[in-house]
Amino acid sequence: MYYILLSIFFPILCGIFLLIRKEMEHRKNLLIVVGIIFLATFALTILALCLSGNEMFTLFNLSGRLPVLFKIDEISIVFVSMTLIIYICVGIYSFEYMKHEEKEKRYYGFYLIVLGILIALCFSGNLITFYLFYELLTINSVPLVIHNRSREAIMAGLKYIFYSLCGAYMVLFGLYFIERYGNTLTFSAGGVISASAMSEHGEILLVLAMLMLIGFGVKAGMFPMHAWLSTAHPAAPGPASAVLSAVIVKAGILAIVRVVYYIYGVSFLRGTWVQTVWMVLSLVTVFMGSMLAYREPVLKKRLAYSTVSQLSYILFGLAVMDAGSVTGGLLHVLSHGFIKAVLFLCAGAVIYMTGKTRVEQMRGIGKEMPFMMWCFTIASLGLIGIPPTGGFLSKWYLAQGALSSGICGFDWIGPVVLLISALLTAGYLLPITIQGFFPGENYDYGALQKKEPSLFMTIPVLILTVLSVFIGLFPEWLLNYLSQIIEKII
Amino acid sequence: MDFVQNFPAISILICLFAGIISSGLKGRTARYINTALILIVIFLSFCTLGYVLGTGEAYVYVMGKFPAPWGNEIKAGVLEAFIALFFSIIMLLSMWGGIKKLGDEVEDGKVFLYYVLNDLLLSSLLALVYTNDLFTAYVFVEINTIAACGLIMIRQNGRTIEAAARYMIMSLLGSGLLLMGICMLYDLTGHLLMSNIREQVEILFASGNYRIPLLVTIALMSVGLAIKSALFPFHAWLPDAYGYSTVSSAAILSSLVSKGYIFLLIKIIYRVIGFDIFYNSRIINILFVFGLMGMIFGSLSAIKENDVRRMIAFSSVAQIGYIYMGIGMGTQAGMAASVFHVLSHAATKSLLFIAAIGLTDVSGGSRQFVELTGAAYRNKWAGVAFTVGSLSMVGVPLFSGFISKLLFAQAAVQNNVKMLPALIVLGISTVLNAIYFMKTVIRIYTPVEDRSYESVKFGGMKLYAATLVGFIILNVFLGVSSQPVVDLIGQGLAMFS
Amino acid sequence: MGANLLTNYGEAVAIILFGIGFGNLLLQSNLIKKIIGLNIMDTAIYLFLAEKGYISGRVAPIIVDGVQDMEKYINPIPSGLVLTGIVVSVSVSALMLSITIRLYRRYQTLDLDEISLRLKKEGL
Repeated sequence: MYYILLSIFFPILCGIFLLIRKEMEHRKNLLIVVGIIFLATFALTILALCLSGNEMFTLFNLSGRLPVLFKIDEISIVFVSMTLIIYICVGIYSFEYMKHEEKEKRYYGFYLIVLGILIALCFSGNLITFYLFYELLTINSVPLVIHNRSREAIMAGLKYIFYSLCGAYMVLFGLYFIERYGNTLTFSAGGVISASAMSEHGEILLVLAMLMLIGFGVKAGMFPMHAWLSTAHPAAPGPASAVLSAVIVKAGILAIVRVVYYIYGVSFLRGTWVQTVWMVLSLVTVFMGSMLAYREPVLKKRLAYSTVSQLSYILFGLAVMDAGSVTGGLLHVLSHGFIKAVLFLCAGAVIYMTGKTRVEQMRGIGKEMPFMMWCFTIASLGLIGIPPTGGFLSKWYLAQGALSSGICGFDWIGPVVLLISALLTAGYLLPITIQGFFPGENYDYGALQKKEPSLFMTIPVLILTVLSVFIGLFPEWLLNYLSQIIEKII
Repeated sequence: MDFVQNFPAISILICLFAGIISSGLKGRTARYINTALILIVIFLSFCTLGYVLGTGEAYVYVMGKFPAPWGNEIKAGVLEAFIALFFSIIMLLSMWGGIKKLGDEVEDGKVFLYYVLNDLLLSSLLALVYTNDLFTAYVFVEINTIAACGLIMIRQNGRTIEAAARYMIMSLLGSGLLLMGICMLYDLTGHLLMSNIREQVEILFASGNYRIPLLVTIALMSVGLAIKSALFPFHAWLPDAYGYSTVSSAAILSSLVSKGYIFLLIKIIYRVIGFDIFYNSRIINILFVFGLMGMIFGSLSAIKENDVRRMIAFSSVAQIGYIYMGIGMGTQAGMAASVFHVLSHAATKSLLFIAAIGLTDVSGGSRQFVELTGAAYRNKWAGVAFTVGSLSMVGVPLFSGFISKLLFAQAAVQNNVKMLPALIVLGISTVLNAIYFMKTVIRIYTPVEDRSYESVKFGGMKLYAATLVGFIILNVFLGVSSQPVVDLIGQGLAMFS
Repeated sequence: MGANLLTNYGEAVAIILFGIGFGNLLLQSNLIKKIIGLNIMDTAIYLFLAEKGYISGRVAPIIVDGVQDMEKYINPIPSGLVLTGIVVSVSVSALMLSITIRLYRRYQTLDLDEISLRLKKEGL
């Protein structure tokens, strides 16, 4: 039981320790320490997953009927494994990337704290615990965003805080009421709100559901509160934007999964106006994100907009509330996590080695860094949804689920929008690859030099790329596992 | 009668005597007496708290030999003893945190006066908390005002004197109204002891006579105390008084003095008027509306402010607004939330003031935001403490501010009419709080290269750092294990009626 | 209503005086006038108390001729309250006057608004 606590608080305490410790003399020592902490956290979390069954574990009572409690269920396992893998890969990548940034110790300190908080989010057993760590996540991830303390970075950090806090407050608004009508905030598959409360206060509960969706949707970049993503990502250092986009925004997705499927329950929300509005918002975001990405010249911003659009794929899948679409959504959580991490890490590597940030500067980049660009290309194909990558599989399930859901209108609008957006995705990602590998006739091959980064950067990228393809190639066990979850919640 | 029952009276009296004795002593001796005094008061209040928790009911202590309708009385219940304990702890920490600054800002020959005023302030606060007699309450309200005015202008410059003048004027308006209210109430009921007045007020209310005079009385007393505790439209004196006086004064004024009046108001509501009668008068809505306005406008002024201490002062206006909103909610839960916020705000605001002074000291004494850049690196303890205070003010879980917001919201949900405005304003105000506090936190953690002020090491500020740690522990304690405190408040409010 | 006012003219006067004092304390910008307002306000309250405490035809409760009948005497408490109140208001007025002197020595003016303006200019 205490392994849960250990896996959460070990990285947090290590991070705090790193923050208050004096600057280490040799950079190598710092890296070794951080590496050992990563491994230990990994081991502890695995232990926690293996050794603690479905019991609940109450840490203490925040007030009255609001305990801080932890519980491991299937959803936590999916999210926590993705978080750990991506987090550790990106961590190793930053060993090299952060070499020339100042204040490395502070970076790793907050990096570890955020890791602990993310694990805690996955293991949270009720909404108040989740909210607690959600707020902490916002506050502790800000130092990652504003790491280089330039004016733009600080403005981006402030924007991030305000968007997130606004969202968090909307959630709190709902939390007060659910605590009153639901008698409990503990997550349980199928919802906790009593039937009498549903019939009596149905309308207000729906309004609150919408508020909470929008509130948590801030982290998940859902329209209308998506604007922080495109500011925060380019300001952060490469690896930080990778975890931001691949893992931290998924906290918003996890939150929505928890609220919709574990607090409200599908039967309550299905067919209401909330579902309709939610689907409309997510489709708007899918389309708008892709359009914005298509027009954006700065690579990291383009990827950030792409994150906005791809996250709403997941949200759309969750909104349809059909077995197939939810499977697709959860699959896309994984594949988008891996793919987006690869894309950001490659963009970071390009900045790190050449200092180029804009797309039009990247002509011939494939000749300079062939390995990175190959990974970039494979990941791009995955994001577009070309078989046999993971992206194809998840989008297939998404579209199929939408088609079979039988929700009037959305059963065909949804897939169409997804298809258009996939074309746009191809439109904004492939030109980079094409220009990179085929710079055209007037390209000066003489000035070309190999700029492949060191193994610290290439190997994590390779692992993540392989994983993203692996999901697509061998999906059976994953699908089986997800179907177990879906059975419970739908 | 148990010996412990004497403790509230003893604690008030030793404060008065310590003040008198200190007036003939040197600064250093007065300081020792003051510290010893506060420690004794903490001990006495703790014993009283233990005693009333043990017996489970409030007791009446007759001052002198005159029995109930004529004599003067003290009434001590759980809440009174707890508030006395909490106030004296905050007082001790605030004094310790500002001791060093005090030496710099006050002339050497006048330091002892500071401690005299402080002793008197403590005695009047304790008297406000414990007394069961309305007129005694009025007298100690005035003593409180005079002592607070002295605390503001002990640091002599134009700003503080002007602030003291404005503070006095506002306070006198408030106490004039309060006194008028008390006189009219005496006129209506013929009593000065709170419990006796309450019986008469109930009879009067049941008979239906004198409805308007009763309403006017309630209005006079609530508005008077609201003015004194700087509720929104009457807060003009506050930023200067908090912003320019010496740091201990600012901390004590914002966290204790205004809270003493609020506590008196709560006592009047429960013990003198009776909760239901107060609820039925429409005064409660006025307090609610002004509370809401205070929450918004206080925060807006704080955002515009360019001086960190004035910013914290304006934030006090907003927080006082929270408390009055809770009172104005008109439910027991709202009242309990207000009392909890009194505690949480006291712990947080004094922490912020004390931490801010550490930050400004390492920035060449300037309080402008530009100069504060990177101050948290130069004084690490103050930086961490300021961050904790800010997070608590914004309402991040694990700190006391979150619990009070939670309690306010839970209270609001129970009131169908006031639910929406309360929750919406709570939301707006939270976001506004976040804007200016997070702005400051990021500012103090932004490294600066071109200019190097001296940084402070731990060795040079042991007492200061210990104070900050004490405040942080208090804050986290209220935030993490709030349930016992909330239970205590509930129990105490039940003893009030 | 009018008849009530006439019978209770003392209280009515007290309340009017209270209003005058309150207004002066709040609205005057001259510090001395403010202090005068304060004193009018306080005195109005004492007048109110004294008026309430006196019942015509009765005397102060000092027993001289052995009469212990309650009907003969007035309630002495309001007078006691007035005394206490006077003590308080004297000390408060003294404090206000001393603040006024300090401000006057610094700024050579009694106008509080002007002092505020000058403080803003000093930019302290």
